[in-house]
Amino acid sequence: MTYRAATVAGLTTNIFFGLLRASVLLALLNAQRVNGWDSNDAVTYVVLTQAIMMFVSIFGWTDLMNAVYRGEIATDLLRPMGLFGFWFAQDVGRALAALLLRGVTILVISSLLFHIKIPSSVAQFLALLLSMLLALTISFAIRFIYNLSAFWSPDARGFARFVSVIGTFASGFLMPLRFFPDWMQQILNFTPFPHIMNTIIEIYVGSISGNQVLEALLVQTLWAALLVVLAQIILSRASKRLVILGG
Amino acid sequence: MVSFRHHLELYSRLLGAQLRSQMQYRLGFVLDLISTMLFTATEFGAFVLVFQRFPSIGGWKLEEVAFLYGMVEISFGLMDMVFAGFDPPAFAQYIRKGTLDQFLLRPSSLLIQVFGSDFTLRRIGRIALAIGILVYAFNTNHVVWNLEKWLFLPLVVLGMILFFGGLFMIGATITFWTVESSETMNIFTYGGGYLMSYPMNIYSDWLRKIFTFVVPAIFLNYYPALFFLSKPDPFGMPYFVHFLAPFVGIAVFWFAVQYWKFGLTHYQSTGN
Repeated sequence: MTYRAATVAGLTTNIFFGLLRASVLLALLNAQRVNGWDSNDAVTYVVLTQAIMMFVSIFGWTDLMNAVYRGEIATDLLRPMGLFGFWFAQDVGRALAALLLRGVTILVISSLLFHIKIPSSVAQFLALLLSMLLALTISFAIRFIYNLSAFWSPDARGFARFVSVIGTFASGFLMPLRFFPDWMQQILNFTPFPHIMNTIIEIYVGSISGNQVLEALLVQTLWAALLVVLAQIILSRASKRLVILGG
Repeated sequence: MVSFRHHLELYSRLLGAQLRSQMQYRLGFVLDLISTMLFTATEFGAFVLVFQRFPSIGGWKLEEVAFLYGMVEISFGLMDMVFAGFDPPAFAQYIRKGTLDQFLLRPSSLLIQVFGSDFTLRRIGRIALAIGILVYAFNTNHVVWNLEKWLFLPLVVLGMILFFGGLFMIGATITFWTVESSETMNIFTYGGGYLMSYPMNIYSDWLRKIFTFVVPAIFLNYYPALFFLSKPDPFGMPYFVHFLAPFVGIAVFWFAVQYWKFGLTHYQSTGN
């Protein structure tokens, strides 16, 4: 019962915030079409971001650094599998639960309240799933890297906040990147953040299609590969630093 | 009867201890300061960037929205700093860990102890930036200043601090029964702050009516803004509602204190 109450409270809050964010975008658009998006696209954008924000942990994650500070990381390092794989597997589980329990419910309830778009073809749906998986990988690799800073510094929490705040802005969670000036979009395209949310949004809304989707997925894959490799390199440096006493 | 001076002395001692401890990790503190500033900068920055493609929002220009936003950010930031001990998720920890029982056993005022239990100095980053946004709003809107406006401005901020602080206290009081803090309070605290940062005419009728007659948020920021910016009232309310902000704040805070006292008489320790 307690959990059910908490779930209802969470859903209500999520939908309420969606309502406010949609009100702002609708008032800005004022029934016009701006840079390819109309009111329907904007509302779909809001509902989708509300539904996947927990899936990609847009507000950050500090479990790993807590394990480092408490010393529990020693036990994790004894396991017969890599630290990255071990934590990534857990995060995929967490993300899937968030998506299926919270995300889908939010999409369903919101689609009853507002008129939102739904992916129209199988190809679009498959591209969406692949993009979400890549987004989760990128998001996790970034979170893993800033959590590793706990091996060097007592201030990892500060770094975590820092990156998460930048992430909400640069991923297109605060406002659609499509509505930013072109120069800002170009700057952000040099960072991996748009691939945590914006790419998913563009595919879902259908504002990119065909070759553009393939290109977006390719860039997303490259970022995912790059960040995973980077995470592994930093991890190997971090574990060399680690000295554990006692047993 | 313990004097007011004693309370004040106790509070300033607790505060001193808080500030000293928060300054221990200098780098950590500076990073926190920057990230609270960055929080406001990205949120408002995203709006400013997007606004380049649009002429107005609900008939309001960017510099007019900057006034609404700056006022809410300053008030919420100050409130968050002073009322940090009542922040529902943090307060729920006091109940779960038995910290509240320790407070109750001490021969001092409970409210002073909770107020003194946390003071988030890092919010200064957010407040400083919000002051900057507000100064920008004053300069670009060409507000005609007179004594009336100078006196009213701090009262509006005070009204919002008491309003948001009251909501924090209500949220904290609920945890006397539930132990776990409920996300629903976020609708009113963070949701309320978000809602008040934009002109009220952009929301659906039913939503605006709730935030007029059930939770009187409309009087805290929107109506004072109409007064400062000399904008007409689209809802045809009586003229005095422009000046209700401090009274609404006091009323909500008074209610919160009563509710807190009521909750305290029903408090049962979680046991340790």
